[in-house]
Amino acid sequence: MEVIESFENNLNLKCKLQVLSRADGSAMFSEGQTVVLSAIYGPVEVKMQKLLIEKASVESVFKPKSGLPGVSDRYKEYLIKNICETALASALYPRTAVLVNLQEMQNQGQLISCAINAVCLACLDSGIDMKFLFGAVSYFLTKEEELTLTPPINESSVKAMFVFVFNNTKGDVIASHTEGRFSIDQYKTALDICRDEVKKVFIFFKETLLDT
Amino acid sequence: MSELSPADFYLPGEIIRNLKSKDREVIIGPGLCRNESDTKSLIASQAGYLCFRAPNTYWLEGRRNRYIPKKADLVLGIVTKKSSDNLKVDIGSAESASLSMLAFEGATKKVKPDVNVGDVIYAKVINAHKEMEPELVCIDQYYKAGKLGVLSNEGFVINLKQKLIQQMLNPENPLLRTLGRKFPYEIVIGVNGKVWMRANQCKDVLTLCRAFQIAEYQKETDIIGICRQFK
Repeated sequence: MEVIESFENNLNLKCKLQVLSRADGSAMFSEGQTVVLSAIYGPVEVKMQKLLIEKASVESVFKPKSGLPGVSDRYKEYLIKNICETALASALYPRTAVLVNLQEMQNQGQLISCAINAVCLACLDSGIDMKFLFGAVSYFLTKEEELTLTPPINESSVKAMFVFVFNNTKGDVIASHTEGRFSIDQYKTALDICRDEVKKVFIFFKETLLDT
Repeated sequence: MSELSPADFYLPGEIIRNLKSKDREVIIGPGLCRNESDTKSLIASQAGYLCFRAPNTYWLEGRRNRYIPKKADLVLGIVTKKSSDNLKVDIGSAESASLSMLAFEGATKKVKPDVNVGDVIYAKVINAHKEMEPELVCIDQYYKAGKLGVLSNEGFVINLKQKLIQQMLNPENPLLRTLGRKFPYEIVIGVNGKVWMRANQCKDVLTLCRAFQIAEYQKETDIIGICRQFK
């Protein structure tokens, strides 16, 4: 189980699968200096109040590096739950639950996109049926109106942040998240660049799974 | 398995074209689903290598960890609940399976089999619809038990990865034979990942456990190579 690295792109992705022995699928994923550990359990037995007759219910838990989970962590859980519900072929497993656990290890700004990619790799590792893959890319707008893929070292110099999540079938946006102030043109540029960049993420996913 | 090439590797959502089956009729196995917009192609729903068996069966050979019950699977389960005429058996799927007390050889309404909570049972899945709980039986179509039924309490149960289970069930795989040459043992393999085994000494059981746990993380070709050294 060696760590798979990708230096070809400037996203600087690294990944290790099957890091947890008891989870159905797990992945340690890093984007630059941001690291997230994710685990998937499923399909497992569901609690009565969360039972859905026609499909599997997805539950996600995000654990911050230290302290108790706050409102922003709840938001990430909600975002990941929504993405998983669209991407997993949940109609194949009615009256079951799929549990997604995430643990933040290090944060250097790309936490949301890193978490989403980690979840996708954990899903692939667990062998759960999916309709499509999803990959996320973060993009930053600095105070000097510069657009960059690598997060600025100083957090105060970030004016806005974009996170786009794409699927691998048609390259559609399946989720997006933005913070800060920006113009419509900047948003469009970011979207176009992220759409190109996510292809490298998918290539990285394929390389990772081929090697392990 | 050596003929698997990276070109046959698919990820969920990727479209599989160039199906070489007769009469354009395709039987699809795990990891694949139909493409609604183009009936000549398939869509992968798991990550894995595309496998084909003539004349028209396709499936994806990938990683699969959680057991999903399928009809006619031979599984190993642990009894978790006992009522007057039904047993609940944990077979590692999302829902525990039900096993009727009458589904044992020679069982009648008055003569019930001696099964207790915690017993290990080797059974066949007779009903595995995704909307219903899986149903098990311990008899074949002639009402005989055969190899099915309650397993001895002297055995030892471990969980293994589905990939290794598939390899061990392949009669050409030398792993079990090589171990059998070293010491005698009994083994029952359920396709749900649970394995029951018994040997004369506790030491031998531990050797088996260790061997399987190491084999989980080895490639099939490596396992065959290591087994050859012991010939």
